[in-house]
Amino acid sequence: MLKLNKYFVFASILSLASCNEIPVVIGDVSLPDTDRVVLLEELTGASCPNCPKGTAAVEAILDNYPDKVAAIAIHGDFLSDPIKGRSKYDFRNPKAKDLENWFKPFLGKPCATVNRIDLNDPDQRYATAVTGKWQSMVETELNKPHQVSLLMETNYNPSNRALEIDITVIPIADINGSFSISVFLTESHIIDAQINGSNILDDFEHNHVLRDMPTKFDGDLLGTDFKRGQSFKKKYIYTLPDSGDGLWKPENMEVVAAVHKSGANDREVLQAINKKILE
Amino acid sequence: MRLYLLSHWTYSILDMHHIKFIIVKSLIVLFFTFASITIFAQDKGVFSGGFETNVNMFLRDSSINAINTPQYDHQLVGGEAWLNLNYSIHGYTIGARFDMYQNSNLRNPTGSYSGSGIGQWFISKELNNLEVSAGYLYDQIGSGFIFRAFETRPLFIDNALYGARLKYNFSDTWHLMGFMGKQKNAFDTYSGNLKGIRAEGFLSFGNEDSPVTLAPGIGFVNKTLSDEYMNEIIDVVRTYQEVDKFIPKYNTYAATIYNTLSYKSLNLYTEFALKSDDTFFNPYIEKTELVGNNTLGKLMSATGSVAFVSASFAKGGLGITAEMKRTENFSFRVDPNLTLLKGLINYLTPINRQNTYRLTARYNPAALDISEMAYSLDLRYKFNKSWSANINLSDIKTIEGDQLFQEIFTEVMYKHKRKWQLTTGIQAVKYNQEIYETKAEVPLVKTLVPYADFLYKFNSRKSLRIEAQYMNTDQDYGSWLFGLAEFNIAPKWSFEASGMYNIDPKKTNAKGALEKTLYPTLGIVFFNKSQRYSLRYVKQVEGVVCSGGICRLEPAFSGMRFTMNTIF
Repeated sequence: MLKLNKYFVFASILSLASCNEIPVVIGDVSLPDTDRVVLLEELTGASCPNCPKGTAAVEAILDNYPDKVAAIAIHGDFLSDPIKGRSKYDFRNPKAKDLENWFKPFLGKPCATVNRIDLNDPDQRYATAVTGKWQSMVETELNKPHQVSLLMETNYNPSNRALEIDITVIPIADINGSFSISVFLTESHIIDAQINGSNILDDFEHNHVLRDMPTKFDGDLLGTDFKRGQSFKKKYIYTLPDSGDGLWKPENMEVVAAVHKSGANDREVLQAINKKILE
Repeated sequence: MRLYLLSHWTYSILDMHHIKFIIVKSLIVLFFTFASITIFAQDKGVFSGGFETNVNMFLRDSSINAINTPQYDHQLVGGEAWLNLNYSIHGYTIGARFDMYQNSNLRNPTGSYSGSGIGQWFISKELNNLEVSAGYLYDQIGSGFIFRAFETRPLFIDNALYGARLKYNFSDTWHLMGFMGKQKNAFDTYSGNLKGIRAEGFLSFGNEDSPVTLAPGIGFVNKTLSDEYMNEIIDVVRTYQEVDKFIPKYNTYAATIYNTLSYKSLNLYTEFALKSDDTFFNPYIEKTELVGNNTLGKLMSATGSVAFVSASFAKGGLGITAEMKRTENFSFRVDPNLTLLKGLINYLTPINRQNTYRLTARYNPAALDISEMAYSLDLRYKFNKSWSANINLSDIKTIEGDQLFQEIFTEVMYKHKRKWQLTTGIQAVKYNQEIYETKAEVPLVKTLVPYADFLYKFNSRKSLRIEAQYMNTDQDYGSWLFGLAEFNIAPKWSFEASGMYNIDPKKTNAKGALEKTLYPTLGIVFFNKSQRYSLRYVKQVEGVVCSGGICRLEPAFSGMRFTMNTIF
């Protein structure tokens, strides 16, 4: 009896292990036909060993979806301190820190929010640490209906370094709720140290680094209950600091604006736009 | 009972929350039915349970980086509690556990988590040779290499299997167990499912006075990814360059074979486990990027294996234990996109010594699942009633030969009648902080820790225990001194004061200064039969907290900590 039962066990194991499954299909990247532009906010840091992986994921997304994604690299607090003896710059700033705290909880860095969609996960509310998921989240957002158009004009005066930003928001559908606008100033092509795994890369190219926000970190209120055909205008004047340390170069800077919900928990971004300060 | 079996097979088509409600309600009804039977039939069942709580009061201290979490910023108090009750009668056992987390930092040490509810329930019934169980179940196969459903509260690990289990006893020594279910995830479950079988037995040969005994076992586990997890994997893999792409599989099969051989004073445990092609995240492998430099870490698919041997010999005052473990690509999670301590299906036994003194335990390695070759040797000898000694050696490398951890630990113990005893020794450690804590371009941490533990008994009730430790190191935080005094008044009270002092700091604090910092602890512990209450003022340096070979980085702590536990 015992011997028979042993044979039964082995036969069961072998029969399970010999089952074949139909292979899954790995599709290609698709480019949706839409006027939507998605906001991708990456929480990163110079002292974050895994963050180059996030940087690479962001660059791949920008490459795959040209003109459809506006990216921001937020060097807030956690693992964002400069690398002792190696970093030339400190990318941290109060608005970046406020944003990072606003996106808590998150599991670790790198992580990113895609249009600030609520992930319904108690460990990572808005920002997911699985870099490989970012692209599919961007794709999902691009496939949603386009509800708001966003226009932006910038005018930079090199003599006094004053930057004028004119934004027009035009709802193309009726949407209930209260809405805000956030404006970000980012800088790219900054060569500085970055931890990569167990190494330090001295000549790492930092892109889309959030330098400051002319608005409040959680946005300036636009209005409530959007009606189709309405328009909202906002004007900001920001003077770029002349830091003298090689940063705040207007030719490397970009203005990013995003219209988003401003509920206590619903922060969904409806539309984003990005424009270089010097075209 | 039939109702529960039926509900198990049909629950997937019903609403999970509704099912949970029905099951908990049914358990309560069942419980009172049993209680009624107990009263009327005067047939006593067995009630047992336990309660445990931790309450932390957070006091901001920027000098040790105890800041920037919701608890320090505005929540101020957080804690956890668990109450479990079990009742057994007429071959039935039912149990439930209430879990509560309020502003807790257990789930995420830098975040805050609140949630409460029925954290676990189960019901089981013995029917002659058959044992049937359903609910949230804890179990394991062999050492746990292919499956271990367990709970480790300090690390927020509760990997119970939510499902059903059958165990059939062919005889007193042979059984077959099978299970199916999902893994628990806090107050929910992960999608995807697990199935497994375990067959274990016992054989004895030779003469009755000194037989050769064998305790063989074999186990098999099948993990099936849910569509949700598979779609997430596909979403990730399709962003990879052609060179890194692979076709993931829904099913992974893992098998293990193990045996304990005993003859006289010799014990030999061997286990070998294999895993079929499985999708897992390898943090050490290079990923080709579309733009810019290549990065480290990607999902990949590969087979895996673990081999483990543990031999021990004890005779007279001598005890020898030698162990070896080789691990290759044995990351086994319900979803490969899960990180840290989430969704672990298996458990990889650590073979290094599990130290208890503060400084000897400071650099403790987690068992690695991608590539590990580990050896340990433990020698103990009791010279006479007064003197005994222990030497322990551990060496852990990657399979490729990179040093991960090495420990040489010595201990000498002297007992002077029943009046006092002294335990002293020295520990030397090499610890790869780059791998265990993902810190860049940091050297191997090398420490030398002499320590002493002196216990003096004034009388049968009062005793004083003093610990002194010194860690010499040029790496990480630098050298440390640790001292502890513990005054015990049996059986009720214990008072303690300890301090950990960064005597030669190598790391700047939040103010950017190299300051010698004291991390004091003051505590009082009260015992009342099976109840234990403790209240402590604690300042604790950032460090790696390990439990049974599973570790995570814990931030610094500053505040008051109350704990209470009891069993009944």
